[in-house]
Amino acid sequence: MNESLIILERVNTWFPNHKSILGKPRSWIKAVSDVSLDIIEGECLGLVGESGCGKSTLGRAILRLAPLISGKIRFMGDDISTLDSKALKPYRANMQMVFQDPKASLNPKMTIFKILREALVLNSRVTKENYLEQAVELLDIVDLRPDHIYRYPHEFSGGQQQRICIARALATDPRFIVFDEATSALDVSVQAQIINLMRNLQDRLNLTYLFISHDLSIMEHVCARVAVMYAGQIVEVQEAGLLFDVPRHPYTKALKNAVPTADPESRKELGILKGEVPKLSDPPSGCRFHPRCDYKEDICIRKNPLKSQTGENSWVRCHFHEKLWQQGDLINSKESL
Amino acid sequence: MNHIVLNKELKIAPARQPVLQVRNLTVGFNMARGQAKILEGVSFDLFQKEILALVGETGSGKSVTVKSILNLIPERSRETRGQVWFDAKDLLSMPDKKLQTIRGKQISMVFQNPKSSINPIFTLGEQIFRLIRLYLSPDIDALKLKMHCSRNQAVETIAKEKLNEVGLTDIQRMLKLYSGEVSGGMAQRYRIALSLLSSPEILIADEATSALDVTVQAHILKLMKDLCENKQTAILFITHDLSIAAQICDRVAVMYAGRIVEIAKTKTIFKKPLHPYTIGLLNAVPMLGKNKPLSFIPGMIPDLVNPPLGCRFHDRCDHAMDICRKQKPESLTLEDNHEVSCFLYK
Repeated sequence: MNESLIILERVNTWFPNHKSILGKPRSWIKAVSDVSLDIIEGECLGLVGESGCGKSTLGRAILRLAPLISGKIRFMGDDISTLDSKALKPYRANMQMVFQDPKASLNPKMTIFKILREALVLNSRVTKENYLEQAVELLDIVDLRPDHIYRYPHEFSGGQQQRICIARALATDPRFIVFDEATSALDVSVQAQIINLMRNLQDRLNLTYLFISHDLSIMEHVCARVAVMYAGQIVEVQEAGLLFDVPRHPYTKALKNAVPTADPESRKELGILKGEVPKLSDPPSGCRFHPRCDYKEDICIRKNPLKSQTGENSWVRCHFHEKLWQQGDLINSKESL
Repeated sequence: MNHIVLNKELKIAPARQPVLQVRNLTVGFNMARGQAKILEGVSFDLFQKEILALVGETGSGKSVTVKSILNLIPERSRETRGQVWFDAKDLLSMPDKKLQTIRGKQISMVFQNPKSSINPIFTLGEQIFRLIRLYLSPDIDALKLKMHCSRNQAVETIAKEKLNEVGLTDIQRMLKLYSGEVSGGMAQRYRIALSLLSSPEILIADEATSALDVTVQAHILKLMKDLCENKQTAILFITHDLSIAAQICDRVAVMYAGRIVEIAKTKTIFKKPLHPYTIGLLNAVPMLGKNKPLSFIPGMIPDLVNPPLGCRFHDRCDHAMDICRKQKPESLTLEDNHEVSCFLYK
């Protein structure tokens, strides 16, 4: 197994909610609380969860784009959690991000060449004379034609725009890319093209990905390992193949049961998760999933469960995961799939 | 044995009365570059007590189809031809005032973004009360006599009952909130409750769950299914997500570039798709628990100002023949009411 490229230790990202007259925050929205996670070099780690669970904030926090209240982020062995923006610059080129809406993340007044040149300036290995050559090569990598280089973003379709965003992310020779819902705005057939491109690039350029999505069915196609996030905390990390067949956390099971499958033969009663997503300004005590959990007991209300290892690179946060595992309560759902 | 059973089904099928018949619906938008032929000869039936899915990629004309049915697109710079038969009347040739009595009452619609279809400056309570007074005055009077209460109390009781039906809880508090203060899932359930107040014969759901999380989506889908079974409402469900169609719909119509290319029962579409576009679309769908490599359809949706001659799919199709480039394929009806527009099956 490869080494960890990124190690997160008890990362907290909070946003001030109401401010008092003196500008001090009265309460916090705890978007990410106490997240510890490692991302292994060369892997694609998936991050799933409902909207508002803090998955995008976590992705941004890793790149130091969101405020860090406490915790440590190690990137390629160095602690980057306290560096100021100047000291961060050499690291920035190594980490890139691709966003959900490609149209909004490309400047409409710039040609594709200008957009790519902006990023190429950050790449110390490319000299000024080579910008054009490099830009054409980048377009070639993402399967666009060289003559596209002097066009403007609006002349492209959504899928092509997302390719341009990926080309821009690759311009700095990064080692790590965060894809924040990068395929959610695309049609299925275009989505399949982008995913195939991502997988190709990962093999060719030895990249490490964090793939954030709310779409569970896509995870298995893209990722090797998946982290499930709920109300600001990661509740389970598991190999993608195993996660939905043998979930260890009740929330993972609930998520899986809610996903419709594109097969009318296996039509199932869609699982209904009771209650609403908790407010991050006032999360429930103990295990954050307890108000919606079918298996809750007194301890769940009082105490937040610790991580329990379930495999080499997988773990779960649940008081009763062993009991549920032995009883096979969570696996039963496999038959109904 | 099987064969006979199949024939029997076929004989019964035409006896079912369609509640909505769309015939040759053609819509063009006049633009500076010329006319965009958004829809061309769209025809389908919606039967009682069924959920029909209309699936297709962005820009295939799904939303324009349903919006034209209710005449919701501004008439300026638009040309519409064809007929939409509902209740033995043609909705397209009906004056706007008359259509107003059908729209919202007999045919109701739920849109993708629930918050933009709820008025943000009135509380949720005020809006549902107004609609109850409009549609359900006999019910209010009956309740008034029965419970010996004021008119307002009767309206509130009905509102609570209706909101409870769509699975909302804590209604007392909710009635005092504004649309900005509730979550997307709650807003969509509220919106559905509003469109059901008049007990419509047809409910059109335009990407009603696309903006929601899977867990909330599961709620809404179950709600739709129950509705269809218990209240006999016919639902036209527009979605780009084939797995939703597989889960809850009885029949699926696949649209491509303004034409319906295939209509069949859900099982048939997924088991035995005929049109090359349907096959391509199905292969691109990621499926939970099945890690097959995703394939895709090369190329993209054509420019509708200058659509390809003949079959609009021919330049992306692996099986394209000479005739596909010249002639528009007619819709063929195969066994079990499987309709497909493709020369491969002629």
